Amino acid sequence: MFAAFPRLLLVGRRMVQIIPVIVLATFVVFGLLKLVPGDLAATLAGEYATEERVAQIRAEYGLDDPLLVQYGRWLLNAIQLDLSRSFQSNEPVLDQILHRFPTTMLLVCGALLISLTVGIPLGILAATRAGSRLDMVVTSISSFGVALPNFWLAMILVATLSLSWGWFPATGAVRFTSDPQGAIWHAVLPSIALAAGGIAEVVRQLRSALIEILSSQYVRTLYAKGLSPSAILWKHGLKNVAVTLLTVIGLLASRLLGGAVVIEAVFAIPGMGSMVVRAAIVKDFPVVQGVVFTMVILVICINLIIDVLYTVVDPRVSLK
Amino acid sequence: MNAPTHHAGGRVNRRSFLALTGAVAAGGDALAQGTPKRGGMLRLSAQQNPSSLNPQTGNSGSDHVVLYPIYDSLVEWDYATLQAKPGLAVKWAYPDPTTLVLTIRDGVMFHDGTKCDGAAVRYNLLRAKNDERSNVKSDLATVDDITAAGQTVTLKLKAPDSALPLILSDRAGMISSPRAMEEHGRDYDRRPVGTGAMKFVSWADNERVVLTKNEGYWKKDRPLQDGMVFQIITELQTGLRSVTAGQNDLVYYLVPQQKQLIERARNVSSAVGPSLLCVHAYFNYGRAPLDNVKVRQALNYAVDREEFNKATHGGIAETTSTILPRSHWACATEFSGHFTYDPDRARKLLAEGGHPNGIDILGIGYAEQLQVQQQEVLIEQMRRAGIRLRWERYTGPPTPTAFFAEKKGDLLLAPWTGRPDPSLTYQLVFGAGSYFNAGRGEGAAGLTEALLASRASDDLAERKEAFHKLQKIVTDNALHLPLLFRPELTAYGPRVKGYKPNLLGKPKFEDVWLEG
Repeated sequence: MFAAFPRLLLVGRRMVQIIPVIVLATFVVFGLLKLVPGDLAATLAGEYATEERVAQIRAEYGLDDPLLVQYGRWLLNAIQLDLSRSFQSNEPVLDQILHRFPTTMLLVCGALLISLTVGIPLGILAATRAGSRLDMVVTSISSFGVALPNFWLAMILVATLSLSWGWFPATGAVRFTSDPQGAIWHAVLPSIALAAGGIAEVVRQLRSALIEILSSQYVRTLYAKGLSPSAILWKHGLKNVAVTLLTVIGLLASRLLGGAVVIEAVFAIPGMGSMVVRAAIVKDFPVVQGVVFTMVILVICINLIIDVLYTVVDPRVSLK
Repeated sequence: MNAPTHHAGGRVNRRSFLALTGAVAAGGDALAQGTPKRGGMLRLSAQQNPSSLNPQTGNSGSDHVVLYPIYDSLVEWDYATLQAKPGLAVKWAYPDPTTLVLTIRDGVMFHDGTKCDGAAVRYNLLRAKNDERSNVKSDLATVDDITAAGQTVTLKLKAPDSALPLILSDRAGMISSPRAMEEHGRDYDRRPVGTGAMKFVSWADNERVVLTKNEGYWKKDRPLQDGMVFQIITELQTGLRSVTAGQNDLVYYLVPQQKQLIERARNVSSAVGPSLLCVHAYFNYGRAPLDNVKVRQALNYAVDREEFNKATHGGIAETTSTILPRSHWACATEFSGHFTYDPDRARKLLAEGGHPNGIDILGIGYAEQLQVQQQEVLIEQMRRAGIRLRWERYTGPPTPTAFFAEKKGDLLLAPWTGRPDPSLTYQLVFGAGSYFNAGRGEGAAGLTEALLASRASDDLAERKEAFHKLQKIVTDNALHLPLLFRPELTAYGPRVKGYKPNLLGKPKFEDVWLEG
């Protein structure tokens, strides 16, 4: 059956390959969390807890069990979509993640959209006018963008566009399901701050890939055949940099997910990034582990989509 | 009297801050700003997610700000003096030294429609005293038996305890609906039902707590707001920005370094109030090297508190050698400036204590930026006295656990947020067996007797004398390293009127109203 649908086969094969990746990533995080100093049971028990109470908590959460047993128990539950309960709030971790996931995704998708809509035209402009003043300006700006810390840019954006001019909210987020317009409005500044590095990345990668394509022999042949520069660019140049662009998008999406942690802190956005930071501080291990698990799945899914798209845009990429 | 605690500009230095604390201590309506109006949602930026909304199981000093609107306590306190005044208990009396009789206010209802009577109060006190998850057991340690009849609750005590009325103004005296506690079990931590001015609506973890007004509230002309929203914003700078941008109305627990930012911001005012929050280092004197009084004294003489204040609190805090601020009624002011900076004396004391070549001390501290700054200042100051201080750092709740429960380190640099009754502060920080006494033993001869004496009489003058003796023992034996009292700094937008700081340093908003 799969032979008839080679792309389905590719997805199935990739799904099998991701199992060890998930196990390894979550085990490393699980192990690292156990290395954090301090007695978790004593912290959870509170100030006036007796030794018996501390022991009871240790037994309740299985903290006395060997590391592998604890991890195995967690993994078995996670497979059944039971990510345990938060040590702090006693709420199901999955509910907490689902509550915050849309907020983080709106931020990441917004940043990705800005990165591409600004980065692609600038990259094309720089590549088609390579060596010109315009190229130098775009290249310099993109170098600056790579070096720019996004938390610093976030604070500058807030100070000017929000506090001084009052155009955008300075903090917080609105749930997309309750108020889509408000949610997008709140996500504009954080998305711009998060996208700055992404724009630069897209410009630099696209420019260098396109310059390489446009200076290749077959493009010279196309010119000799009398094709217009715009036809060469749109029909042949961009089609050939699509694989590079997809690679950049895949890497960028993963990086934006990580960068959201910082941006969510600066803008006080109740997303998954701020959740995992707080959970790590108070040793709420199930929440940390649950968020990491979700992030790993998400990154793998992004890579899988990119892999499939490779085969669409470039027939030379083998489905095997 | 309006100006002292209100600042929409101008610098605050230590002198003006002390004047402000005096103003609050002497005044009361210092911030009256016209006629209170009703209506509007009060939006607050809160730095910490509550540890629990069950007053008995929470363990964070910052919870109180959210608990106050939901719960009434049996006893309340005066903002300026922290003297006890009626709350849910209209009156109380000691018919004999070991019996406390409370008369509960009639006609008060819980948010779930059940009646708040003597039986409900008894249920709460018994649970606070006995429940395995209670964090306030030690507050009621002197209570032997509790009986209730109608609106009267009688507490039989193991020993005379004049501190109980003010203890009942804190967590132990916040009364929950027995029906709700029974119904929800452990989930009651997140579904609170009290008798307070605000009813609980929702709590999205680390996001917001929403309250709405209690239409049937018993206090006349209260509540003034339609509701309250506590937005959890852990970054104080972001919290302040949310007020500057008009997204929130008020942010509290700011650090002194932010005062200048507030002064530069448009449409934002600030209130600097006194606070019982004492920045100090707890000692583990149950083992070497801090079981040696000479070493403890050396540490106290090795610190230049004024320099520490300037470097870490912009100079606006009140430096101290005691655990109560000078404006507090029970403060033995004679000892407030006892430990003056004297590195030579510290070296001499170390030599007398058997450490002529100096000493290595391991401190436990928080890894947060401002805390690390304080730790660095102490390293440098103590180095001059031959004390080689190094720090082991943790983040969040595991920090005190490492010191108090796991017995790591020789000292812990952390704030003590204070308690309404001073005897509880001394009992919890220095008492034998207390969690906050890492060594658990008696730090000095006569301390236990002095602690009991501080609770033996309900006459204020007698208690003041008892606290003087108690502080003398603490100071003579250098049982901790007191540094300063951090002022309570609050910033608020133009809509907010009537905000008053209080001496406890834990903001209450019952008199706040919104304009426009």
